[in-house]
Amino acid sequence: MSATHHHHEEQDFLFKYIFSQDHKMISKQFLITGFLMGFIGMVMSTLFRLQLGFPGESFWAIDFFLGSWAENGVMAPDKYLALVTMHGTIMVFFLLTAGLSGTFSNLLIPLQIGARDMASGFLNMLSYWFFFVSTIIMLISLGVEGGSASAGWTIYPPLSALPQAIPGSGLGMTLWLVAMAIFIASSLLGSLNYIVTILNLRTKGMTMTRLPLTIWAFLVTAILGVLSFPVLLSAALLLIFDRSFGTSFYLSDIYIGGQVLEHSGGSPILFEHLFWFLGHPEVYIVLLPALGITSEIVSTMSRKPIFGYRAMVTSILAIAFLSVIVWGHHMFVTGMNPFLGAVFTFTTLLIAIPSAVKVFNYITTLWKGNIIFSPAMLFSIGLVSTFISGGVTGLILGDSALDINIHDTYFVVGHFHIVMGLSAIFGMFAGVYHWFPKMFGRMMNNTIGFFHFWITIVCAYGVFFPMHFLGLAGVPRRYYTNSEFPLFDNMLDINELVTWFAIVAAFAQLLFVFNFFYSALRGPRSSQNPWRANSLEWTAPVEHIHGNWPGEIPEVHRWAYDYSKVDENGEYVSGEDFISQVVPLGPNEKDGGH
Amino acid sequence: MTSITLNNNDYKKEIKQKTAKPLLWIGLMSIVMFFAGLTSAVIVSKGTAVWETIQIPSAFAISTVFILLSSLTFYLGERSIKNNQLAKAKVFVLATLVLGLLFTVTQYIAWTDLYKNGVVWAGSESSAAGSYFYALTALHLLHLLGGLISLLVVSFKTIKEKYNAENLLGVQLSSTYWHFLTALWVYLYLFLIFIA
Repeated sequence: MSATHHHHEEQDFLFKYIFSQDHKMISKQFLITGFLMGFIGMVMSTLFRLQLGFPGESFWAIDFFLGSWAENGVMAPDKYLALVTMHGTIMVFFLLTAGLSGTFSNLLIPLQIGARDMASGFLNMLSYWFFFVSTIIMLISLGVEGGSASAGWTIYPPLSALPQAIPGSGLGMTLWLVAMAIFIASSLLGSLNYIVTILNLRTKGMTMTRLPLTIWAFLVTAILGVLSFPVLLSAALLLIFDRSFGTSFYLSDIYIGGQVLEHSGGSPILFEHLFWFLGHPEVYIVLLPALGITSEIVSTMSRKPIFGYRAMVTSILAIAFLSVIVWGHHMFVTGMNPFLGAVFTFTTLLIAIPSAVKVFNYITTLWKGNIIFSPAMLFSIGLVSTFISGGVTGLILGDSALDINIHDTYFVVGHFHIVMGLSAIFGMFAGVYHWFPKMFGRMMNNTIGFFHFWITIVCAYGVFFPMHFLGLAGVPRRYYTNSEFPLFDNMLDINELVTWFAIVAAFAQLLFVFNFFYSALRGPRSSQNPWRANSLEWTAPVEHIHGNWPGEIPEVHRWAYDYSKVDENGEYVSGEDFISQVVPLGPNEKDGGH
Repeated sequence: MTSITLNNNDYKKEIKQKTAKPLLWIGLMSIVMFFAGLTSAVIVSKGTAVWETIQIPSAFAISTVFILLSSLTFYLGERSIKNNQLAKAKVFVLATLVLGLLFTVTQYIAWTDLYKNGVVWAGSESSAAGSYFYALTALHLLHLLGGLISLLVVSFKTIKEKYNAENLLGVQLSSTYWHFLTALWVYLYLFLIFIA
C-alpha cells in the first residue's frame, strides 16, 4: 500500500502491516487467520471421520497428528470427543463467524458505501488482535494436560462444569471459556464498527435503498451479533463461576462415586436457554453474510438486476427478527411444556418463508440471465442448492414432534453441515474468488477453481447426504463408534463411504489453498473492474490506498443493480450491459429498485 | 442520516467527531443485552430453584443515592464546560469522581453486610439468590470501574483545562457512559428488591 497524500505520515512496518488500522489490511488478516483455523478444523474432522469409518483401526495419520491422543495410531475415545468439540467451535466461531464476517464486512463496507475507512480504525485493529489472541488461546487448549474442552461445541453443564466428568473439562475447558470471552469482545468491537459505519458514513447519494445487498446482510448480521453475543458471555461467565468458584447456577444433585457434590439449586437447562439464545442467531450470523454475497455475485454474473431487491431486504430483516425467537427448537427434548414446543415450532417454520423468498429470488435472477460461470458464480449457485437441501431438513427438525426421534442423531448433523458446512462456506469461497482482485489486485485461476468447486460439492453431498438416513435409523451423534451396537451394523458401510468422501473433499481444498497463495503472489494482474460490476468498490483504484479513493469520494446516483438496462428500443441505456452506481441518471431514466 | 463527502485528508478527525457517540451507543446496547441475559437467568432460576429470601443491606440504598448524585454532578459539570465555566466544571467533575468512589466503597460495605447476614456467593452454604446478588452487583461494579477510569481521564483533562465549549467530546462520551451506569444500577437495585 502506498501513501499518496502529502499530509500522510510514513508509517513504520509495525503499524502499516501488523497493527494496521486500514480496513483492507484487517480484512486480509481475518481471512488468513480464519482460513488457517478452518484448515485445522478440517484436519480434525478428517481424523475423526477415519475413526468413524474404520472404528478402532490404526492409521498413520492419526498417529502423526494426534500423538499422545492416540495409542498405536488408534484415537482414544475421550479425545474423539475433544476433536468433535474443537472442530465445531473452530468452524462455527473462528472460520464462519470471524473469518467470514471479519473478512468481507471489513473489506466491503467502506468500499461499497463510499467511506474512507471504518468509523474507528483503532477499534477495528483491536477487533482483529483480540480475535488473534483468542485463536492462540484456543489452540493452546489443545495441548494442555487433560486435553481441550470435550463437551461438544455446545459445552452443556454438568459435563463442561465438572473437571472430574471428563479430562477435557479441566484446564482445557477453562481456556476455551477464556478464549471465547476474548472472541466475543472481538466480535462486538467489529459489529460496533460495521453498524456505525454503514449508518453514518455513506457517501452522498448512497441512501439505504441504494445499498448493495451485501451491506444490508452485514448490517443485520452485526446487529444480531450485538444483541446475542453478550448473552453467550453471560452464560460463559456463570459457567466460569460454577467451575472455578463453587457457585451453583447450573449444577444440582450430582453424585460422583456415591458422593453428592456440594452444588445444589442450579439447572443445566438454564445454560441451554442462555446458550441457544445466542446459538440460534449465531447460525444466521454465519449464514446471512453468505446470502448477501450470493445476491451480489448471482446478479453480477447473470448480468441481471437482483430480482426483488425490497423483498430481499425484508427477508433479511425477517430472518434476523425470527431467529431471535426460535431458540427453543434446540431444546425440544428437555421436557418443555408441549404447548411451548408448539410455539417454537411455529416460529421456526415461519423462518422458512423469508428463506424461501431469497432462494426464489436467486433462481429468478439466474433465469434467462447471461450467465458467466466463474468459480464464484458456481459456488453461489452451489449455495442455492445446498441451502434448499439443508433448509428443508430444518423444517423437519423444527417440528417438535418429529424432533423427538431425530434430535441428537446424524439427521441433525447432516442438516447443519449442509446449511453451514456447505452453504455458508460456499458463500465464503465465492466471496474470496469474486473479491480476490479487490484484495490482491490479481486474478485466481479459473480452471483450478472449477475443479475445486465440483470435487467439493460432489464429495460434500456424499459426506452429508447419507447422514440423514443414519439419523432416521437412530444413529446418535457424537458417538466414538457405532460398531458396538448390533442395531447399527448395517450402517457401517455408509460410515465408511462417508469417510471416503470426506478424505477426497479434504484433499480437494488443497487445490484452493494452492490457487489462493499462488495467485496472490504470481497471478495475472487484474483490471480495476474485472467483473464489470456496478458497485462502488470497483471504482476504487486497484492499488490500495489509505482513504480508498484519491481525491473525492464518488457520488452515487442509482442503485447497485443496473445490469442489462435497456430503453424502450431495447438498446442498452449506457451502451453496455452494466451501469456503475456513480453514473448520473439520464434525462428520462428512473432509478431502479424504487 | 446525513452522509459526508470528504475532500481532504483530515478525514480521520471528522469521522471521529461523527461516529464516536454512535459507537458508544451500540456498545451500551451490548451491555444492556449482557444484563438482559443475566436477568433472564435469574427469572429462570427463580422458577426452578429453592429461592432464599434475602435482606437487602441498606448500604445498597446509600450507594443508589451516591450514584444518582454523581450523575447530577456530572451533568452539571458537562453543562459548565459547554458554557465555558471551567472553574465550576472542575468542582463538579471532581465531585462526580468522589461520589463514584463513594459508590464503590458502599458497594463493598453492602457485600460485607450480606456476608455477615450469612449470604455467601459460593460453596455449600450458598443459594441461587445469594449467588445472583453478588454476581449482578459485582458485574455492574466491574463496568463502573471502566467508568471510573474514563472519569479519571476526564477529571485530569478538566483540571488542565483541555475542554471548552467547542471541544468536549471526551466529556460527553464519559458522561453518557456514566449516566448509563446510573440507570443500569437503578434498574438492578429495583430488580434485586423484586427478587429478594
